[in-house]
Amino acid sequence: MRIFPESVSTYGHGIDQLFWLILIFVGTALVISYFILLYPIIKNHHSKVKRAKYITGEGKGPYSWILLALALLLGSDFVILFAEHHVWEDIENVPEQVDMRCCITGRQWNWIFTYPGPDGKLYTADDITIDETNSELHVPVNKNIVFDLKAKEVLHSFFVVNTRLKQDCIPGRTNTRWFNFTRTGKYDISCAEICGIAHSQMRNFIVVESQEDFDKYINDLYAKHSQTASN
Amino acid sequence: MPVTRVPQGRLAMWVLIAGELMIFGGLIACYLMYRLRFPEWGIQAAHTSTFFGALNTAVLLTSSFTVVKAHEAANKGDTKRITMWLSISILGGLLFLVNKSIEYSREIAEGFTLPSVGMHEAGDSIGSLFWSFYYLMTGLHGMHVIAGMVVMFLALLNARKGQKLHRVELAGMYWHMVDLIWIFLFPLLYIAK
Amino acid sequence: MTHAEHPQSFISKYIFSQDHKMIGTQYTITGLLMAALGGFLAYVFRYNLAWPGEHIPLFGDLAANQYNTFITCHGMIMVFWVAMPILLGGFGNFLIPVMIGADDMSFPKLNMLSYWTFLLSAIVLVASFFVPGGAFGGAWTMYPPLSASAYSNLHPHFFQALFTGAPMMILAVALEFTAILMGGINYVVTTINKRAPGLTAFRLPLTVWFINIATVIFMFSVGPLVAGAFMLLFDIVIGTGFYDPARGGDPILFQHLFWFFGHPEVYVLLLPSLGVLGEIIPVFARKPLFGYRKIIYLALLSAVLSVVVWAHHQFVAGIDPRMATFFSIGTILISIPFAGIFLSFIATLWGGRIKLTLPMMWALGFIALFLIGGMTGLFLGSNAFDIYAHDTYFVVAHFHYTLFPDIFFGFFAAFTYWFPKFTGRELNKGLGHVHFWLTFIFFNSTFFLLFFNGLGGQHRRINDYSLFSNINIEPYITFEKIATTSAILLILSQSLFLINLFISLRAGKRAERNPWNANTLEWLAPSPPPHGNFEHVPAVYRGAYEYSVPGVESDFIPQYAEQV
Repeated sequence: MRIFPESVSTYGHGIDQLFWLILIFVGTALVISYFILLYPIIKNHHSKVKRAKYITGEGKGPYSWILLALALLLGSDFVILFAEHHVWEDIENVPEQVDMRCCITGRQWNWIFTYPGPDGKLYTADDITIDETNSELHVPVNKNIVFDLKAKEVLHSFFVVNTRLKQDCIPGRTNTRWFNFTRTGKYDISCAEICGIAHSQMRNFIVVESQEDFDKYINDLYAKHSQTASN
Repeated sequence: MPVTRVPQGRLAMWVLIAGELMIFGGLIACYLMYRLRFPEWGIQAAHTSTFFGALNTAVLLTSSFTVVKAHEAANKGDTKRITMWLSISILGGLLFLVNKSIEYSREIAEGFTLPSVGMHEAGDSIGSLFWSFYYLMTGLHGMHVIAGMVVMFLALLNARKGQKLHRVELAGMYWHMVDLIWIFLFPLLYIAK
Repeated sequence: MTHAEHPQSFISKYIFSQDHKMIGTQYTITGLLMAALGGFLAYVFRYNLAWPGEHIPLFGDLAANQYNTFITCHGMIMVFWVAMPILLGGFGNFLIPVMIGADDMSFPKLNMLSYWTFLLSAIVLVASFFVPGGAFGGAWTMYPPLSASAYSNLHPHFFQALFTGAPMMILAVALEFTAILMGGINYVVTTINKRAPGLTAFRLPLTVWFINIATVIFMFSVGPLVAGAFMLLFDIVIGTGFYDPARGGDPILFQHLFWFFGHPEVYVLLLPSLGVLGEIIPVFARKPLFGYRKIIYLALLSAVLSVVVWAHHQFVAGIDPRMATFFSIGTILISIPFAGIFLSFIATLWGGRIKLTLPMMWALGFIALFLIGGMTGLFLGSNAFDIYAHDTYFVVAHFHYTLFPDIFFGFFAAFTYWFPKFTGRELNKGLGHVHFWLTFIFFNSTFFLLFFNGLGGQHRRINDYSLFSNINIEPYITFEKIATTSAILLILSQSLFLINLFISLRAGKRAERNPWNANTLEWLAPSPPPHGNFEHVPAVYRGAYEYSVPGVESDFIPQYAEQV
């Protein structure tokens, strides 16, 4: 059994590795904790011991064990913090080189995709917006895709399991995030913040394809769009 | 058999006041955050009446003073003076409310209401939010003024019979808190423009 | 004592009682009834998760909006109408006066008012299920704009809008806060002012300390949320725009106000149960509580730190990345005092003479489960991993591993420990142990597998995963079924508790005054303690944890014993 679903973004691997790193610390701590919990319960059962020892723990002596344990815990906490910091920076900081820009807006209850029009700029008159249930967002593989996340009426949370990315979408705000897919395929976009009755049905797709396929898709889209516009 | 020297009524009142201050503290903190974000609220604040605000500040400060006098009288067991000073304090609260309602009616007549729907529809949404805060903060404070008056009135009823004189002090503590909150609200809502 | 002198009518003894023990009983029973309701809601939506769309026995079909309502109310009820009344209302009322040697609370009338306000809040909450549109269903966090917009559009009229799910839930929570605040004033003033002579601050039992620290944390953190709730209520029923971005408002503001309260609330719930553990473990290890003073200092430290960790619930809300680092460090720091407290409890076991009595089993079970709950918090406290795990079943499993032991193991530990004192009867041990083991096993089989569902990407608050082809797969489907089956068995095994309660109340062996050979003051009072508790005002000569003192024949020296 796999613990995590397949990771398809450049930073997804970092999240998975972080999990295993923390698990090493947590697992060790748990094993030690259960040992020190169970050992006295078994060894000091009242049938085996006549009288308990009088240890108040008020002085420094025996209490230094707890201080030692706390120091170890604090130390491992900061190791984790240090390790996770670059993963966090990697996900939260948008790279300078942008290959594609788009806008993803949550609404009750589907995701709206906005591609820049033929002028290549977002938020201009020729932008193409797709607002349908079950629609697909097409993106090229191995490219830095930067997107603005917005929401129409209520909070939503953009979640693509296979990229490991989750980001809340907040009405009135724009959160800019990015990803870079390492392989082609079709993945679910879900909403991870309760947004009303059909929260469970809020699902769209992200289709990752080669640059050629993507170019073809987007040109078809432009053509279809100009046709409807001229009609 | 109290262990500490502090009477339990006074202790309870301190705990209550601490809780109340956290409510208003949270509200004021939210107001300040928005205020810093929207400098244009200054235009709205100009519509509040500094005169009435200042008058009410004076009224509350005076009634705080008279409630201290009532406490002094309670320490001496002088029920007549307690009755007098507490009545003046309650009248102060009443005057405050009268002033406040004159203010409210003038503002409402100008179209500044709690939701300020008119302003919102006219495109000044951010300005309307100032008035939401204004009415929420002064309204909640007004409720506390009324509560303070009720508490003082109950203390007065007891004191007239010479009973439970320690309640005068407790009512006074509460009234000081009401005053203190107003001291924060006045500059934030009226003076800062 | 003057209390015993006036006879009490049925109504003044059982209904409008001012006696702290009766008020504690009322709080506890109301809490348990609400727990039954919360458990039933859990049963319904867990059944739906395992067998989506199927007819649910004892309920019927569950629509999507009902699913949302049920998960929302399950959370609300378990936190505010089960944990708070049992852990603060129940423990605080039962334990504080008897443990400090007082005849009653400082303000018995206020105490009575506190319970009746609480009962009213529970009634308002239950009533909200029956208003048009049903109870609120936008998650227990009540985030606007969803909570602000869901109903106001349907009911433009003020009063119609007021009697819909969201405003009624706000009203219910507000009443509940008021009740707990009234109780809290009593706990703090009683502890400060009504201690028996000689009972200095550092001779107080840990329970009394911890209930008071919890109360102070609650009072300090709840104020801003009250302010925030006013704004939310106005947004719903009057149509202001405090949280409406179209009008300059900010929905994130509510999240800050909510979690400024919401996270300290976790410690408000945790501390009373930890206090109970601090009584039970020394008694059954026959050993002083390890580092008693330091435990108190650590708890005070955690109270201070608890107000600088809230934004770790908002790592994916788009807060400033530097702020996220600050709160990540705060979260790490607050793990230290609690680790210290748990380690002190474990250290108390070392070198002890351990009796595995019923209360001790619950206490040790609490620690065993909470270790998992606390440690999995490290995954979520790391903000990068939280990007993935936030709002998945990993979080659900994590907080059930903290709150379930806290609320229910904590309650059962206290219940089994003080049952002989407050009823004068002994519990049936065999039945009690069976109940413990069934609860322990079924709890684990309900929630442990959900960690994997979360890591597999199943997000929360979804009534049917069939649309999501990459997470609606094996083994997660089987895990859901195991979890649901176990949850049903977990709920059913609680009937053993009820059976034991009734059997022992009627036919249990008469309990002595001090059946566990414990040190604290409540064991001096008769079992059950009469109205007024003690025959004489007790005098206190030493700390609460003098067990197995060298050179003394007896292995315990009660606080009230003048001569060793």
